[in-house]
Amino acid sequence: MADILTLVFRTFNQHNGKPKDFKSIAPSKCSTLVVGDCSVNRSLLILAAVTAASELGLKVSFFTQVQIQSLPGSLQESMSNLSPDNLKKIKFSYPRSLEDLLQDVASLHESASGSAAPPSLIIVDGLEGYLRGPGVSGGLQQAEQSSAAHISALLYDTAAFLTQTLEERAASLAPCRVIASFQSEWEGHAGGDSSDPVLSVLDRYFQVRCTLDQDWNSAPAVAGPQDTWHVYLSGAGITEDPIAKDEEVSSLAREWRLVICPNRSMEFTMV
Amino acid sequence: MPSFLPTVAKQLFKDIQKTYQEKTKIPDDLLIALRFVFGSCALQALDLVDQRSVTCVSSPSGRRAYQVIGGSGLLYTCYTSCHYCSCPAFAYTVLRRNESLLCKHILAAYLSQAMGLSQQEALSDQQMSSILSGRAARTDT
Repeated sequence: MADILTLVFRTFNQHNGKPKDFKSIAPSKCSTLVVGDCSVNRSLLILAAVTAASELGLKVSFFTQVQIQSLPGSLQESMSNLSPDNLKKIKFSYPRSLEDLLQDVASLHESASGSAAPPSLIIVDGLEGYLRGPGVSGGLQQAEQSSAAHISALLYDTAAFLTQTLEERAASLAPCRVIASFQSEWEGHAGGDSSDPVLSVLDRYFQVRCTLDQDWNSAPAVAGPQDTWHVYLSGAGITEDPIAKDEEVSSLAREWRLVICPNRSMEFTMV
Repeated sequence: MPSFLPTVAKQLFKDIQKTYQEKTKIPDDLLIALRFVFGSCALQALDLVDQRSVTCVSSPSGRRAYQVIGGSGLLYTCYTSCHYCSCPAFAYTVLRRNESLLCKHILAAYLSQAMGLSQQEALSDQQMSSILSGRAARTDT
Protein backbone atom coordinates (compact mmCIF):
# COMPACT_ATOMS: atom_id res chain seq x y z
CA MET A 1 0.00 0.00 0.00
CA ALA A 2 0.95 3.65 -0.19
CA ASP A 3 1.39 4.25 3.52
CA ILE A 4 2.28 7.96 3.44
CA LEU A 5 -0.57 8.91 1.10
CA THR A 6 -3.01 6.79 3.10
CA LEU A 7 -1.88 8.69 6.18
CA VAL A 8 -2.46 12.00 4.35
CA PHE A 9 -5.99 10.93 3.32
CA ARG A 10 -6.83 9.94 6.90
CA THR A 11 -5.22 13.03 8.45
CA PHE A 12 -7.18 15.38 6.23
CA ASN A 13 -10.39 13.37 6.41
CA GLN A 14 -13.41 15.63 6.18
CA HIS A 15 -15.60 13.64 8.59
CA ASN A 16 -13.51 11.66 10.98
CA GLY A 17 -11.45 14.50 12.39
CA LYS A 18 -7.86 13.80 13.24
CA PRO A 19 -6.83 10.16 13.31
CA LYS A 20 -5.16 8.72 16.37
CA ASP A 21 -3.75 5.64 14.74
CA PHE A 22 -0.76 6.88 12.73
CA LYS A 23 1.30 3.89 13.77
CA SER A 24 -1.40 1.42 12.67
CA ILE A 25 -0.60 2.02 9.00
CA ALA A 26 2.00 -0.59 8.07
CA PRO A 27 5.16 0.89 6.55
CA SER A 28 5.35 0.15 2.84
CA LYS A 29 8.32 -0.05 0.48
CA CYS A 30 6.03 0.52 -2.51
CA SER A 31 6.85 3.58 -4.57
CA THR A 32 3.87 5.65 -5.65
CA LEU A 33 3.20 7.68 -8.79
CA VAL A 34 0.60 10.45 -8.44
CA VAL A 35 -1.03 11.05 -11.83
CA GLY A 36 -3.23 14.11 -12.25
CA ASP A 37 -3.26 17.87 -12.69
CA CYS A 38 0.17 19.33 -11.88
CA SER A 39 -1.01 21.93 -9.34
CA VAL A 40 -3.16 19.43 -7.40
CA ASN A 41 -0.31 16.89 -7.62
CA ARG A 42 2.07 19.45 -6.10
CA SER A 43 -0.29 20.31 -3.23
CA LEU A 44 -0.76 16.60 -2.46
CA LEU A 45 3.01 16.01 -2.47
CA ILE A 46 3.58 18.96 -0.10
CA LEU A 47 0.90 17.55 2.21
CA ALA A 48 2.68 14.18 2.07
CA ALA A 49 6.05 15.75 2.88
CA VAL A 50 4.71 17.79 5.80
CA THR A 51 2.66 14.87 7.15
CA ALA A 52 5.63 12.48 6.99
CA ALA A 53 7.93 15.01 8.68
CA SER A 54 5.57 16.25 11.37
CA GLU A 55 3.54 13.15 12.23
CA LEU A 56 6.13 10.42 11.63
CA GLY A 57 9.34 12.39 12.18
CA LEU A 58 10.75 11.26 8.83
CA LYS A 59 13.45 13.03 6.86
CA VAL A 60 12.19 14.05 3.43
CA SER A 61 14.03 15.00 0.25
CA PHE A 62 11.71 17.03 -1.96
CA PHE A 63 12.72 17.70 -5.58
CA THR A 64 10.81 20.17 -7.72
CA GLN A 65 11.39 22.71 -10.50
CA VAL A 66 8.86 25.12 -8.99
CA GLN A 67 9.83 27.28 -6.02
CA ILE A 68 7.62 26.42 -3.03
CA GLN A 69 6.42 29.82 -1.79
CA SER A 70 3.92 28.73 0.86
CA LEU A 71 2.30 25.69 2.43
CA PRO A 72 -1.17 24.63 1.22
CA GLY A 73 -4.05 26.51 2.83
CA SER A 74 -5.08 25.77 6.42
CA LEU A 75 -2.23 23.27 6.80
CA GLN A 76 -0.86 24.99 9.87
CA GLU A 77 -4.26 24.87 11.59
CA SER A 78 -4.86 21.26 10.65
CA MET A 79 -1.67 19.72 11.93
CA SER A 80 -1.04 19.52 15.63
CA ASN A 81 2.64 18.66 15.33
CA LEU A 82 3.57 21.32 12.81
CA SER A 83 6.61 23.22 14.03
CA PRO A 84 9.71 24.81 12.48
CA ASP A 85 11.79 21.90 13.80
CA ASN A 86 9.59 19.38 12.02
CA LEU A 87 9.63 21.40 8.82
CA LYS A 88 13.44 21.39 8.94
CA LYS A 89 13.25 17.65 8.28
CA ILE A 90 12.17 18.51 4.73
CA LYS A 91 14.99 19.40 2.37
CA PHE A 92 13.76 21.17 -0.75
CA SER A 93 15.98 20.92 -3.83
CA TYR A 94 15.34 22.63 -7.13
CA PRO A 95 17.14 20.75 -9.93
CA ARG A 96 16.41 22.60 -13.16
CA SER A 97 16.94 19.80 -15.67
CA LEU A 98 16.64 16.03 -15.87
CA GLU A 99 20.44 15.80 -15.78
CA ASP A 100 20.55 17.79 -12.52
CA LEU A 101 17.74 15.69 -11.02
CA LEU A 102 19.56 12.46 -11.91
CA GLN A 103 22.75 13.77 -10.33
CA ASP A 104 20.95 14.90 -7.14
CA VAL A 105 19.14 11.58 -6.71
CA ALA A 106 22.27 9.59 -7.58
CA SER A 107 24.18 11.50 -4.86
CA LEU A 108 21.73 10.61 -2.06
CA HIS A 109 23.72 7.46 -1.22
CA GLU A 110 26.68 9.67 -0.23
CA SER A 111 24.77 10.71 2.91
CA ALA A 112 24.83 7.05 3.99
CA SER A 113 28.59 7.39 4.59
CA GLY A 114 28.13 10.32 6.98
CA SER A 115 26.73 10.52 10.49
CA ALA A 116 23.31 11.91 9.53
CA ALA A 117 20.53 9.47 8.65
CA PRO A 118 19.54 9.41 4.97
CA PRO A 119 15.98 10.42 3.95
CA SER A 120 13.06 8.06 4.52
CA LEU A 121 10.96 9.71 1.84
CA ILE A 122 12.04 10.94 -1.59
CA ILE A 123 9.52 13.11 -3.40
CA VAL A 124 9.81 14.25 -7.01
CA ASP A 125 7.25 16.82 -8.11
CA GLY A 126 6.40 17.16 -11.80
CA LEU A 127 8.30 14.43 -13.64
CA GLU A 128 6.67 15.72 -16.85
CA GLY A 129 8.66 18.95 -16.54
CA TYR A 130 11.92 17.03 -16.38
CA LEU A 131 11.04 14.53 -19.10
CA ARG A 132 9.74 17.08 -21.59
CA GLY A 133 12.16 19.84 -20.74
CA PRO A 134 14.86 21.25 -23.03
CA GLY A 135 17.31 18.61 -21.74
CA VAL A 136 15.40 15.87 -23.57
CA SER A 137 16.25 15.92 -27.25
CA GLY A 138 13.47 16.91 -29.60
CA GLY A 139 10.65 15.54 -27.48
CA LEU A 140 11.13 12.19 -29.21
CA GLN A 141 8.92 9.54 -27.69
CA GLN A 142 11.71 6.99 -27.37
CA ALA A 143 14.01 9.54 -25.70
CA GLU A 144 11.23 10.40 -23.25
CA GLN A 145 10.65 6.72 -22.52
CA SER A 146 14.36 6.10 -21.92
CA SER A 147 14.62 9.16 -19.67
CA ALA A 148 11.49 8.07 -17.77
CA ALA A 149 13.00 4.62 -17.24
CA HIS A 150 16.33 6.07 -16.14
CA ILE A 151 14.98 8.39 -13.43
CA SER A 152 12.36 5.84 -12.27
CA ALA A 153 14.91 3.04 -12.02
CA LEU A 154 17.38 5.33 -10.24
CA LEU A 155 14.70 6.32 -7.72
CA TYR A 156 13.81 2.64 -7.19
CA ASP A 157 17.44 1.57 -6.78
CA THR A 158 18.21 4.51 -4.47
CA ALA A 159 15.20 3.77 -2.25
CA ALA A 160 16.18 0.07 -2.09
CA PHE A 161 19.72 1.01 -1.04
CA LEU A 162 18.62 3.63 1.52
CA THR A 163 16.07 1.17 2.97
CA GLN A 164 18.91 -1.27 3.61
CA THR A 165 21.00 1.53 5.19
CA LEU A 166 18.13 2.70 7.39
CA GLU A 167 17.37 -0.86 8.52
CA GLU A 168 20.98 -1.20 9.68
CA ARG A 169 21.28 2.22 11.34
CA ALA A 170 17.80 3.39 12.39
CA ALA A 171 15.20 0.68 11.80
CA SER A 172 12.33 2.88 13.02
CA LEU A 173 12.97 5.26 10.09
CA ALA A 174 12.92 2.46 7.46
CA PRO A 175 11.88 1.89 4.74
CA CYS A 176 12.77 4.64 2.30
CA ARG A 177 9.75 5.39 0.10
CA VAL A 178 9.41 7.25 -3.19
CA ILE A 179 6.48 9.41 -4.27
CA ALA A 180 6.60 11.16 -7.65
CA SER A 181 4.01 13.03 -9.66
CA PHE A 182 3.31 13.10 -13.38
CA GLN A 183 0.80 14.96 -15.52
CA SER A 184 -0.03 13.03 -18.66
CA GLU A 185 -0.69 15.10 -21.78
CA TRP A 186 -1.68 12.08 -23.83
CA GLU A 187 -4.86 12.80 -25.84
CA GLY A 188 -5.45 15.81 -23.63
CA HIS A 189 -6.46 13.56 -20.75
CA ALA A 190 -5.01 15.12 -17.63
CA GLY A 191 -5.67 12.09 -15.46
CA GLY A 192 -3.49 9.90 -17.63
CA ASP A 193 -4.17 6.92 -19.81
CA SER A 194 -2.62 3.50 -20.09
CA SER A 195 -1.83 4.21 -23.76
CA ASP A 196 0.49 7.06 -22.78
CA PRO A 197 3.88 5.53 -23.70
CA VAL A 198 5.74 7.47 -20.99
CA LEU A 199 3.19 6.55 -18.34
CA SER A 200 3.45 2.87 -19.33
CA VAL A 201 7.21 3.05 -18.66
CA LEU A 202 6.69 4.79 -15.30
CA ASP A 203 4.19 2.07 -14.34
CA ARG A 204 6.97 -0.53 -14.69
CA TYR A 205 8.84 0.99 -11.75
CA PHE A 206 6.12 2.48 -9.51
CA GLN A 207 4.13 -0.29 -7.82
CA VAL A 208 1.25 1.99 -6.82
CA ARG A 209 -0.50 4.59 -8.94
CA CYS A 210 -2.61 7.30 -7.28
CA THR A 211 -4.86 8.73 -9.99
CA LEU A 212 -6.54 12.11 -9.54
CA ASP A 213 -9.50 12.64 -11.89
CA GLN A 214 -11.52 15.84 -11.73
CA ASP A 215 -15.14 15.08 -10.88
CA TRP A 216 -17.15 17.35 -13.19
CA ASN A 217 -20.46 15.84 -12.08
CA SER A 218 -20.29 16.72 -8.40
CA ALA A 219 -23.03 18.96 -7.10
CA PRO A 220 -22.00 22.58 -6.60
CA ALA A 221 -21.17 23.36 -3.01
CA VAL A 222 -23.47 25.45 -0.93
CA ALA A 223 -20.55 27.41 0.47
CA GLY A 224 -19.23 28.42 -2.95
CA PRO A 225 -17.16 27.12 -5.84
CA GLN A 226 -14.81 24.25 -5.11
CA ASP A 227 -12.88 21.59 -7.01
CA THR A 228 -13.81 17.96 -6.50
CA TRP A 229 -11.46 15.16 -7.48
CA HIS A 230 -11.82 11.41 -7.54
CA VAL A 231 -8.71 9.80 -6.02
CA TYR A 232 -8.00 6.11 -6.43
CA LEU A 233 -5.08 3.84 -5.71
CA SER A 234 -4.20 1.02 -8.11
CA GLY A 235 -1.28 -1.09 -9.29
CA ALA A 236 0.57 -4.22 -8.26
CA GLY A 237 1.49 -2.72 -4.87
CA ILE A 238 -2.24 -2.55 -4.05
CA THR A 239 -3.61 -5.71 -5.66
CA GLU A 240 -0.74 -7.97 -4.58
CA ASP A 241 -0.53 -6.56 -1.04
CA PRO A 242 -1.50 -9.46 1.29
CA ILE A 243 -2.70 -7.03 3.98
CA ALA A 244 -4.89 -5.15 1.52
CA LYS A 245 -6.36 -8.44 0.29
CA ASP A 246 -7.26 -9.60 3.76
CA GLU A 247 -8.56 -6.46 5.37
CA GLU A 248 -11.85 -5.09 4.24
CA VAL A 249 -10.92 -1.63 5.50
CA SER A 250 -7.79 -1.57 3.37
CA SER A 251 -9.68 -2.51 0.24
CA LEU A 252 -12.27 0.18 0.92
CA ALA A 253 -9.55 2.77 1.43
CA ARG A 254 -8.52 2.64 -2.23
CA GLU A 255 -10.98 5.31 -3.33
CA TRP A 256 -11.35 8.79 -1.92
CA ARG A 257 -13.02 12.04 -2.86
CA LEU A 258 -10.89 15.16 -2.60
CA VAL A 259 -12.51 18.54 -2.21
CA ILE A 260 -10.33 21.61 -2.65
CA CYS A 261 -12.03 24.48 -0.85
CA PRO A 262 -11.86 28.14 -1.94
CA ASN A 263 -9.11 28.74 0.66
CA ARG A 264 -7.13 25.93 -1.14
CA SER A 265 -7.38 23.55 1.84
CA MET A 266 -7.78 19.88 0.88
CA GLU A 267 -10.32 17.55 2.46
CA PHE A 268 -10.54 13.83 1.75
CA THR A 269 -13.58 11.60 2.15
CA MET A 270 -13.51 7.83 1.76
CA VAL A 271 -15.76 6.67 -1.10
CA MET B 1 16.57 -7.23 -9.39
CA PRO B 2 14.96 -10.62 -8.61
CA SER B 3 11.57 -9.02 -7.84
CA PHE B 4 11.43 -7.92 -11.49
CA LEU B 5 11.78 -11.52 -12.72
CA PRO B 6 9.11 -14.16 -13.32
CA THR B 7 9.37 -17.21 -11.05
CA VAL B 8 10.66 -19.45 -13.84
CA ALA B 9 13.63 -17.14 -14.47
CA LYS B 10 14.44 -16.85 -10.75
CA GLN B 11 14.51 -20.63 -10.47
CA LEU B 12 16.65 -20.91 -13.59
CA PHE B 13 19.32 -18.60 -12.14
CA LYS B 14 19.26 -20.55 -8.86
CA ASP B 15 19.78 -23.81 -10.79
CA ILE B 16 22.61 -22.28 -12.83
CA GLN B 17 24.29 -21.00 -9.64
CA LYS B 18 24.04 -24.37 -7.92
CA THR B 19 25.18 -26.40 -10.91
CA TYR B 20 28.02 -24.04 -11.83
CA GLN B 21 29.37 -24.14 -8.27
CA GLU B 22 29.46 -27.96 -8.44
CA LYS B 23 30.59 -28.57 -12.02
CA THR B 24 32.01 -25.19 -13.22
CA LYS B 25 29.92 -25.53 -16.37
CA ILE B 26 26.32 -25.04 -17.39
CA PRO B 27 24.75 -28.32 -18.64
CA ASP B 28 22.85 -28.44 -21.93
CA ASP B 29 19.41 -28.68 -20.36
CA LEU B 30 19.93 -25.39 -18.51
CA LEU B 31 21.35 -23.74 -21.64
CA ILE B 32 18.24 -24.82 -23.56
CA ALA B 33 16.05 -23.45 -20.77
CA LEU B 34 18.00 -20.18 -20.81
CA ARG B 35 17.48 -19.88 -24.58
CA PHE B 36 13.79 -20.74 -24.17
CA VAL B 37 13.16 -18.09 -21.49
CA PHE B 38 15.35 -15.26 -22.81
CA GLY B 39 15.52 -15.94 -26.56
CA SER B 40 18.46 -14.93 -28.70
CA CYS B 41 20.02 -12.61 -26.11
CA ALA B 42 20.87 -15.65 -23.95
CA LEU B 43 23.78 -16.62 -26.20
CA GLN B 44 24.99 -13.02 -26.50
CA ALA B 45 24.88 -12.66 -22.72
CA LEU B 46 26.89 -15.85 -22.24
CA ASP B 47 29.48 -14.44 -24.67
CA LEU B 48 29.75 -11.31 -22.51
CA VAL B 49 30.22 -13.48 -19.41
CA ASP B 50 32.92 -15.52 -21.18
CA GLN B 51 34.73 -12.30 -22.07
CA ARG B 52 34.50 -11.15 -18.41
CA SER B 53 32.65 -8.04 -19.58
CA VAL B 54 30.67 -7.54 -16.36
CA THR B 55 32.16 -5.47 -13.53
CA CYS B 56 30.44 -4.99 -10.20
CA VAL B 57 31.45 -1.51 -9.01
CA SER B 58 31.03 -0.51 -5.36
CA SER B 59 31.77 2.57 -3.25
CA PRO B 60 32.40 3.21 0.49
CA SER B 61 28.70 4.00 1.08
CA GLY B 62 27.93 0.38 0.18
CA ARG B 63 26.19 1.29 -3.08
CA ARG B 64 26.75 -1.13 -5.96
CA ALA B 65 26.03 -1.17 -9.69
CA TYR B 66 26.99 -3.26 -12.71
CA GLN B 67 28.95 -1.99 -15.65
CA VAL B 68 28.93 -4.12 -18.78
CA ILE B 69 31.15 -3.66 -21.82
CA GLY B 70 28.92 -4.26 -24.84
CA GLY B 71 29.87 -5.90 -28.10
CA SER B 72 30.62 -2.46 -29.57
CA GLY B 73 33.06 -1.69 -26.74
CA LEU B 74 30.73 0.85 -25.12
CA LEU B 75 30.17 0.69 -21.38
CA TYR B 76 26.60 0.32 -20.11
CA THR B 77 25.37 0.78 -16.54
CA CYS B 78 22.80 -1.55 -14.96
CA TYR B 79 21.29 -1.16 -11.48
CA THR B 80 21.33 -3.91 -8.87
CA SER B 81 17.72 -3.74 -7.64
CA CYS B 82 15.67 -3.22 -10.82
CA HIS B 83 15.89 -3.66 -14.56
CA TYR B 84 17.47 -0.72 -16.31
CA CYS B 85 20.23 -0.51 -18.87
CA SER B 86 21.44 2.51 -20.78
CA CYS B 87 21.77 0.52 -24.06
CA PRO B 88 19.62 1.16 -27.17
CA ALA B 89 18.25 -2.43 -27.16
CA PHE B 90 16.72 -1.91 -23.71
CA ALA B 91 15.11 1.33 -24.90
CA TYR B 92 13.72 -0.29 -28.06
CA THR B 93 12.85 -3.94 -27.37
CA VAL B 94 12.05 -3.69 -23.66
CA LEU B 95 10.57 -0.20 -23.17
CA ARG B 96 9.16 0.66 -26.59
CA ARG B 97 8.15 -2.68 -28.13
CA ASN B 98 7.66 -4.57 -24.87
CA GLU B 99 9.04 -7.66 -26.62
CA SER B 100 11.72 -8.65 -24.12
CA LEU B 101 12.03 -8.85 -20.39
CA LEU B 102 15.59 -7.53 -20.40
CA CYS B 103 18.61 -6.87 -22.63
CA LYS B 104 21.78 -8.97 -22.99
CA HIS B 105 23.70 -6.67 -20.60
CA ILE B 106 21.26 -7.18 -17.72
CA LEU B 107 21.14 -10.91 -18.44
CA ALA B 108 24.96 -10.99 -18.45
CA ALA B 109 24.91 -9.26 -15.03
CA TYR B 110 22.52 -11.93 -13.69
CA LEU B 111 24.62 -14.77 -15.13
CA SER B 112 27.94 -13.33 -13.92
CA GLN B 113 26.48 -13.01 -10.45
CA ALA B 114 25.14 -16.58 -10.50
CA MET B 115 28.44 -17.97 -11.83
CA GLY B 116 30.67 -15.74 -9.66
CA LEU B 117 32.44 -14.41 -12.75
CA SER B 118 31.97 -10.65 -12.46
CA GLN B 119 35.00 -8.39 -12.01
CA GLN B 120 35.09 -6.23 -8.87
CA GLU B 121 36.10 -2.59 -8.75
CA ALA B 122 36.09 -0.06 -5.90
CA LEU B 123 35.14 3.56 -6.64
CA SER B 124 34.70 6.71 -4.58
CA ASP B 125 31.16 7.75 -3.62
CA GLN B 126 31.35 10.69 -6.03
CA GLN B 127 32.43 8.43 -8.90
CA MET B 128 29.55 6.10 -8.09
CA SER B 129 27.10 9.04 -8.19
CA SER B 130 28.37 10.05 -11.62
CA ILE B 131 27.97 6.51 -12.93
CA LEU B 132 24.47 6.10 -11.51
CA SER B 133 23.32 9.42 -12.97
CA GLY B 134 24.74 8.57 -16.39
CA ARG B 135 27.02 11.61 -16.27
CA ALA B 136 30.10 9.40 -16.56
CA ALA B 137 30.48 5.83 -17.72
CA ARG B 138 33.42 5.28 -15.41
CA THR B 139 35.26 8.36 -14.22
CA ASP B 140 38.64 6.77 -13.61
CA THR B 141 39.15 5.58 -17.19
